[in-house]
Amino acid sequence: MTRKILRNVGVPILSFVLLLLVWQWIVVGFHVASYIAPRPRQAFLAVTQNWSALWPLILGTIRETVYGFFVGAALGLSLGVIMAKVPVLQRIVYPVLVLSQAVPIIALAAPLVLILGFSVTPKVVIVAWIVFFPVTVNVLDGLTHVDKDLLNLARVYGASRWRTFIHIEIPATATPLFSGLKIGATYAVTGAIIGELAASDGASLALYQEHANANLNTAAVYGTTMVMTAIGITWFLLVVGVEVFATPWQRRTVARRWRRR
Amino acid sequence: MTLLELRDVAKTFGDTIALSPTSLAIEEGSFVAIVGPSGCGKSTMFNVIAGLLTPDGGDVLVKGERVNGTTGHVGYMLQKDLLVPWRTVEDNITMAKRLTGRVSAADREEARAVARQYGLGDFLRHYPTALSGGMRQRVAFMRTLVTHQTLLLLDEPFGALDAQTRLEMQQWLLQVWRDTGRTVLFITHDVDESIFLSDRVIVMSPRPGRVVADFANPLPRPRTVDTLIEPAFIDLKTKVMRLLHREDA
Ligand SMILES: Nc1ncnc2c1ncn2[C@@H]1O[C@H](COP(=O)(O)OP(=O)(O)O)[C@@H](O)[C@H]1O
Ligand SMILES: [Mg+2]
Repeated sequence: MTRKILRNVGVPILSFVLLLLVWQWIVVGFHVASYIAPRPRQAFLAVTQNWSALWPLILGTIRETVYGFFVGAALGLSLGVIMAKVPVLQRIVYPVLVLSQAVPIIALAAPLVLILGFSVTPKVVIVAWIVFFPVTVNVLDGLTHVDKDLLNLARVYGASRWRTFIHIEIPATATPLFSGLKIGATYAVTGAIIGELAASDGASLALYQEHANANLNTAAVYGTTMVMTAIGITWFLLVVGVEVFATPWQRRTVARRWRRR
Repeated sequence: MTLLELRDVAKTFGDTIALSPTSLAIEEGSFVAIVGPSGCGKSTMFNVIAGLLTPDGGDVLVKGERVNGTTGHVGYMLQKDLLVPWRTVEDNITMAKRLTGRVSAADREEARAVARQYGLGDFLRHYPTALSGGMRQRVAFMRTLVTHQTLLLLDEPFGALDAQTRLEMQQWLLQVWRDTGRTVLFITHDVDESIFLSDRVIVMSPRPGRVVADFANPLPRPRTVDTLIEPAFIDLKTKVMRLLHREDA
């Protein structure tokens, strides 16, 4: 058990520390000018010393990321299910979905501002736009590959379509669903930041970084990037946590005692 | 009493006659083996009986009632165990109830009792991935048993097991069959298995799939490993093999 914790938590922390060391080593070793790249410590300080100004902006980005993620995940799941169940719709809708992902996301921001203004909504739409696609593709793939013999067995028992869906098809799709959610989670922050860049009139994390850049405050530029990355990683880890909790059979041989039904 | 009757049941896929008109009557409580080479329509016959396929002609009658193309009147088990990895052994056994209604406390107690009685009591909370092939097939069979169907269709259930495990499973199956008094239709392409288990051996041949012989099995029960070398066993095996080989030539 302790070995497992060491491997699952210790190793990622170690690789993170290693990354900082490499950063430090490059900046110091190659005499990189501080207006091009700060040392890790300076970037950290740029964040902590301006924490009170940054925190509301961070909350804003988190809100856009999380809202957009949930909208995208719900939309992605629904579309995947609908397309799997209605093959005609699949043939009609699938090309449109592929098209939606071919649109450069930056080019999407301008019309969204025209339509939705500078509120939180255009950012949520952009995040959802990015998140739904891997979810849909994975759910559709999962649902269409459920073992036909298993579905036949359910029919032999006299199961209704609804119960077969709930007790067979959905759990059988858990693994691809979470693959899609994890891909979505990693890209969600990117969507939020793109949205902030294109559709912010007031304060936002993306604009904060732009200002820092304009003021040649390199440490703050790097520090903000670190903050954005941290939001993305945290969200990804939360999704992984939910997966671990929701799919115990993936890593356990015996069910926990309290798991009943 | 006749539990299952097929009257001129036939099934065609496009140009392929999977099953040419077949008539058959199965006595309640009997153990009937069906042997035949791969592709002779054995699984098709089961799918028609189970109601997964609607016959092109003829009738399927269970307890005298016509059941063509309807499901819910047989227990059914394949070579693939079809256990779901996200449920424990206990929850896999109660699967049919979950798919058709509520799993009651009594259902769970029954699942646990069956598992304990037939040697899986220590694995109730295990996920299927932790189980060996033989154990998984036993769970699949228990899942079939607790549906309380009198008619069980077993389609090469031990086909994927190694010889040693297969022999153990055959004896285990006979024990469960004796205890529970179900009616078993058992598909296999293993002639020894068909004779060792059954009261009756039905031989099928391919293209077009049809029944070519129906032997009463005279071997006394209980059957043991010694059964496999009795003269009556060899005698019946010879007859069945001749039929299967004539079809090969
Ligand atoms: N769904 C299907 N569509 C088309 N042909 C099928 C289908 N199912 C079975 N067949 C054909 O019917 C014949 C009998 O198949 P099957 O009943 O599976 O044989 P067995 O179980 O004896 O090996 C085979 O020639 C097979 O290719
Ligand atoms: Mg078959």
